[in-house]
Amino acid sequence: MNIELLTLTEVEGVEGEEGDFTVSLRQHPRYVDMDKCIACGQCAEKCPKKVKDFNYNEGLGFRKAIFVRYPQGVPLKYRIDPENCIKLTKGKCGVCEKVCPAGAIRFDDQESSRTIKVGSVILAPGHQGFNPTGIRTWGFGVFPNVITSLQMERLLASSGPTEGHLTRPSDGREARKIAFLQCVGSRDVNKAGHGYCSSVCCMYAIKESLIAMEHVPGLDVSIFFMDIRTHGKDFERYYNRAKDQGIKFRRCRVHSLEPGEGEGNIYLRYITDEGKQVADEFDMVVLSVGLETPPQAVDLAGRVGVELNHHNFVEKSCFTPVHTTRPGIFACGTFSGPKNIPHSVMEASAAAAGAAQSLAEARFTLTKAKEFPPERDVSGQEPKVGVFVCHCGSNIAGVIDVAKVADYAASLPGVAYVERNLFTCSQDTQDLMRAKIAELGLNRIVVAACTPRTHEPLFRETLKASGLNEYLIEMANIRNQASWVHAGEPEAATEKAMDLVRMAVAKVSLLAPLPTLAVPVKRKALVIGGGVAGLTAALTLAGQGYPVDLVEKSSMLGGNAQHLFNTFKFEPIPQFVLALVKRVQQEPNIQVYLNSEVVAAEGFVGNFRSTLNTPAGEVVIDHGVAIMATGGHAHKPDEYGYGQSRKVFTALEFDKLHEAGETRIKRAKNFAFIQCVGSREPSRPYCSRVCCTHAIQAAIQLKQEDPERNVFILYRDVRTYGQREELYTKARELGVVFVNYDMHERPKVKVRGDESVAVTVWDHVLHQPFTFPADVVILATAIIPNEVGKLAQIYKLPVDSDGFLQEAHVKLRPVDFSVDGLFLAGLAHYPKPIEETIAQAKAAASRAATVLSKESISLDSIKAEVSATRCDGCALCLDVCPFHAISLVEIEGGEGKRRIEINAAQCKGCGCCQATCPKDGVAVAGFTYEQLAAQVTAALS
Amino acid sequence: MSFVPKILSFSCNWCSYAAADLAGTNRMQYPASLRIVRVMCSGMVHPNLIVEAFTKGADGVMVMG
Amino acid sequence: MAEQKIGAVMVVGGGIAGMQAALDLADNGFFVYLVERGAVIGGSMSRLDKTYPTNDCAM
Repeated sequence: MNIELLTLTEVEGVEGEEGDFTVSLRQHPRYVDMDKCIACGQCAEKCPKKVKDFNYNEGLGFRKAIFVRYPQGVPLKYRIDPENCIKLTKGKCGVCEKVCPAGAIRFDDQESSRTIKVGSVILAPGHQGFNPTGIRTWGFGVFPNVITSLQMERLLASSGPTEGHLTRPSDGREARKIAFLQCVGSRDVNKAGHGYCSSVCCMYAIKESLIAMEHVPGLDVSIFFMDIRTHGKDFERYYNRAKDQGIKFRRCRVHSLEPGEGEGNIYLRYITDEGKQVADEFDMVVLSVGLETPPQAVDLAGRVGVELNHHNFVEKSCFTPVHTTRPGIFACGTFSGPKNIPHSVMEASAAAAGAAQSLAEARFTLTKAKEFPPERDVSGQEPKVGVFVCHCGSNIAGVIDVAKVADYAASLPGVAYVERNLFTCSQDTQDLMRAKIAELGLNRIVVAACTPRTHEPLFRETLKASGLNEYLIEMANIRNQASWVHAGEPEAATEKAMDLVRMAVAKVSLLAPLPTLAVPVKRKALVIGGGVAGLTAALTLAGQGYPVDLVEKSSMLGGNAQHLFNTFKFEPIPQFVLALVKRVQQEPNIQVYLNSEVVAAEGFVGNFRSTLNTPAGEVVIDHGVAIMATGGHAHKPDEYGYGQSRKVFTALEFDKLHEAGETRIKRAKNFAFIQCVGSREPSRPYCSRVCCTHAIQAAIQLKQEDPERNVFILYRDVRTYGQREELYTKARELGVVFVNYDMHERPKVKVRGDESVAVTVWDHVLHQPFTFPADVVILATAIIPNEVGKLAQIYKLPVDSDGFLQEAHVKLRPVDFSVDGLFLAGLAHYPKPIEETIAQAKAAASRAATVLSKESISLDSIKAEVSATRCDGCALCLDVCPFHAISLVEIEGGEGKRRIEINAAQCKGCGCCQATCPKDGVAVAGFTYEQLAAQVTAALS
Repeated sequence: MSFVPKILSFSCNWCSYAAADLAGTNRMQYPASLRIVRVMCSGMVHPNLIVEAFTKGADGVMVMG
Repeated sequence: MAEQKIGAVMVVGGGIAGMQAALDLADNGFFVYLVERGAVIGGSMSRLDKTYPTNDCAM
């Protein structure tokens, strides 16, 4: 309700300053009246103009000149594409206008301007796929069976142009052998002008390969790559799975594509790991295209006045990852650099936190809340059901005999009134419904129309506005689940519609009013962990006016960042951390507990009570939310001569000595960095994400200090994702030597008696071992999550098999837990560099603020309820409840007898308890056994 | 006349019920003898409810979630 | 910085990032204008079939 969606709209300009911007907008015509369109699709069915669908299907399928981008689109309203519409271009046709049952077509729709006033702006215009057309090497547009990865995505989709069949564009034959070419339009300044890595292509190529293999059993897949960059949470496992399933990974760049011998095939020449030149023929080649900023987004940046960098991504500091160069304007998602979905979602929440912090005092000044008349008491009344049967234009009435359905409804027990409407969802029908409820004293409503998933909220509002409890309605889905799916059998569809109405009436008669549930919120946050994640989260919440208690188990604030020196942009971290700690210490809204730990907790969203063990004794804190920022630490290795020679260091140890100008390092000539020490191994199958960038930065500094130095980086895959790729390029230019090694041929570090060190690694060019003396060996050790077992038990948090805290959804809820009111950030979630930790911490604060901003949280009323007479306390339901919402309590004065109790704030109404209970002692309101059984009986009578 | 089985389905609001809606949006056609009961989760379907459906005359019961 | 701040925010772009930002802000007591160039929101993600690494449906 407090989001106004403005589609087909572009920003013309932004005037003013932080807190008070005036934005001019230009709205393009849709040629369809949004209030009238019912998305029945008759216009598109009859529209004679067919065009290639570049809006959704990447040119692989067709759409009409009047269309909706995809069937689940929001708003689900059609639009006319003015460039292709015959009426708008040639003045003839107008078929859609004739067939539209709602009279929604507006050929005279005009472009319009609008001005809005806002306090802050968030830019998230996104990216486009790199277009490989015209670059000869890739053969795109030359060979029909060379497609982009986005086209592949559509081919694999069951909603796509081939319904998920992997067929070749040239002849429709199923593909049997395919190749993916990585880094098309990424890491390639010569052909694409993009020096950055697009971050997501390795993973999507693996995903498309695995899914393609599910669609075509026995499919032969090769992926041609330079480095496999699977640096995200659980990505390495995914890569390992792909290797196990037989996907061939070939480390080389294919220099050109040629026509194959077989019709439509493509010939690739490449060099194998063994150095042999081979040629191979494929049915289809997929180009893994990179991400780039679309020209419209570049223009947008210009009009809004925010600076972009030389890659056309938003210019920003690692310490303020969602700020732009213009105060009050924030950016998130792929507009500020290539990134995957969870990272975009995190940044989006972080940007929201930025805006919320900037406008904290204006919170709730412009939002609206609806008011409703007091509720009529219907308890004890006989059901007086009103049935409204919708024609939905001809969508229902064109197949189903609606008059017959209405007559039948009138004959059902309890039905007091029946009405047919052209559109039951229209505003005038809502008015009619309210009038009839008042006039006839109706106390239950059945709407026979479309699906409750989209329209029940609307009718519930109408009930509320009529003074009836909003849960006294049931919908009979006679459109999506009758007229549309049985269009060829009108009689059977009519019969089914009558059955559905009978089922709905049977259920609605048994429905009881449900109370509005709300729980008060304790408007205070608990942050666990005093590293950069915890400090940033605490400051973000405190800056919005919420009190925060911050718990740190050590004696100091700052965490791992105290041992770091540079961001990937060479911005100094020590000053940043000092300033951050100081701000926390000076913030009146933050109470810091050092040398303290949480020892117990109880409660639920809005109402937690945690007990801390502090040097001053036990402290009990009441809080509405908690953020887990428990961090991680560096792995201590027992290999590569570590501990045997004073010349072998971990990366963090090396940094300290290097920074201090220690002579062992100052005088050294030969440096060897060994990557993946403790990462990407069977015992720890994840990538620690930050080490490649770190090693390369250190190598660059060593070379810049003294170009005569020999610097070797022994790596498995160089993972300088995103804009970090430029560091890799720079290091190679400076003469840093990169040597690739495999898991089964790891480098050997030999420590002699005098502590001198020799490093041996297999040389892939010479095909023999290569040994060099090293003055300094630097081990890139893994990041390991801090032990969270106890905390996880206290707050019932899920922990993954690597010991990281497990978020609610890897893509869409990256900082939430499945338990409401608890959030996470930083290394406790997964290894990440400082700017991602800051963004995630701000995101966690943003999500936490959605709870803290309210005095009470209203809950959905569909909850499990316990029967005082039937529940005998057997507690079978306790184990099956996925939300830990059930507890066993002693009945007062019941002589030790027990009964279950439901915590409404935790219950999601799934009803697993109801299905488990042998005594009918617990039931979900609105879906009780009795109510469902009434539907079953009605369906089968 | 050939035998037309009466099938009853308990469909989860969040997945299979939504899928049945989408089948409609895409105008897919299937036999009209299916009756869907919407539940908030397939986990709430009590085994007795399935038995009840069979005793009331259902030829097949689907629990989809 | 303005003295009298306006409690509304404009979010430009209706993809996954824009939608998340809009929802968070609306939930935090701000009025949101969600501005989208195209006719529907959903952005790039709506074109994807499945998402890695869980192979969940992107819709």
